[in-house]
Amino acid sequence: MRQDAVRGHLDGLLLAALEQGPLHGYAIITAVQQRSGGALELRTGTIYPALNRLERVGLLHSSWQSVGERRKRCYELTDAGRRTLDRERTAWREFTTAIGSVLNPVQAPGAAT
Amino acid sequence: MSAAGPRSDPVEDYVASLSAALHGPARTKARMVAEVREGLTDAVSEHTREGLPYQRAVSRAVREFGTTDELVVSWQRELTIAQARHTARAVALTLPFVIACWYLVRNAGHGRTWQLPGTAQVMVAHLAGVAVCAALLAAATLAATGTLARWLPTPDRLPLVVAWAGTTASVAMAVATPALAVASALGTNWALMAFAGVLAAASHASVAGSARSCRRCARLPLVDPSAPRRGD
Repeated sequence: MRQDAVRGHLDGLLLAALEQGPLHGYAIITAVQQRSGGALELRTGTIYPALNRLERVGLLHSSWQSVGERRKRCYELTDAGRRTLDRERTAWREFTTAIGSVLNPVQAPGAAT
Repeated sequence: MSAAGPRSDPVEDYVASLSAALHGPARTKARMVAEVREGLTDAVSEHTREGLPYQRAVSRAVREFGTTDELVVSWQRELTIAQARHTARAVALTLPFVIACWYLVRNAGHGRTWQLPGTAQVMVAHLAGVAVCAALLAAATLAATGTLARWLPTPDRLPLVVAWAGTTASVAMAVATPALAVASALGTNWALMAFAGVLAAASHASVAGSARSCRRCARLPLVDPSAPRRGD
């Protein structure tokens, strides 16, 4: 799937990847790609500014953590981040329902053809 | 990417190339660059675990990451906003103290009959007004680029506005403080004047330096014309 198609939904994808618990940057990218079955191709380098922005607006919290001999910055959802994820899910359901009803109209029984 | 020597590390070359292209607060930039290094190292490790030789693993990781030309706009946008917030914080925190200090110097240690010359009073009042406006703009900027950015897009020109507001405020401090000090020297409290002067000089240095960096960041391109925009 093209990068441009993903970009408008990047915030929701990143928040959803962190729903189960804290992850560091590369693990977030891997989680999104695995959950999409490899269909979503994220330009890895664009994820970090997006994470930085989500932290700036208070949807994520981050801290450096030691993993073996290395230090990695781990991100986790804030309460506001969880609420935003819920809203993103609702908006996405409404969007797909609306588009789906146009692309795949269900004809009422007995309707004239 | 820069030309790599035969013994150079391609990951470090990439990180150095990206770092050289970015401008912003040193601490924020260092953190972002450290995350790039960690992310690339993770990607290279994963690809080598899959069986790729190191050089090919690095090439693949860098290809997946994106070239510095592709990434610099989105990274610089965050750094520019971070610099604008840094400048706004400096303005919002220092100006109220400086204004309070001007007020103290103006009033302390004088008898009821002593007053600053009229011209100095008018000038300080106008400069204090400029400083108050800059402080209010700075506070609004901190809100607009913080929590409010969840709902409202951040104007692209906001960093430039903050940069010039900070510059104007620092000039106001630089002009008003010595004028007030000279005028007050006619019959004033020297310890308070010295304190006011040091505070004003430190505030001026802090705000002016941050505003200069903000002007530099704000002149850099922030919008990728090929990218669709959403939120800020």
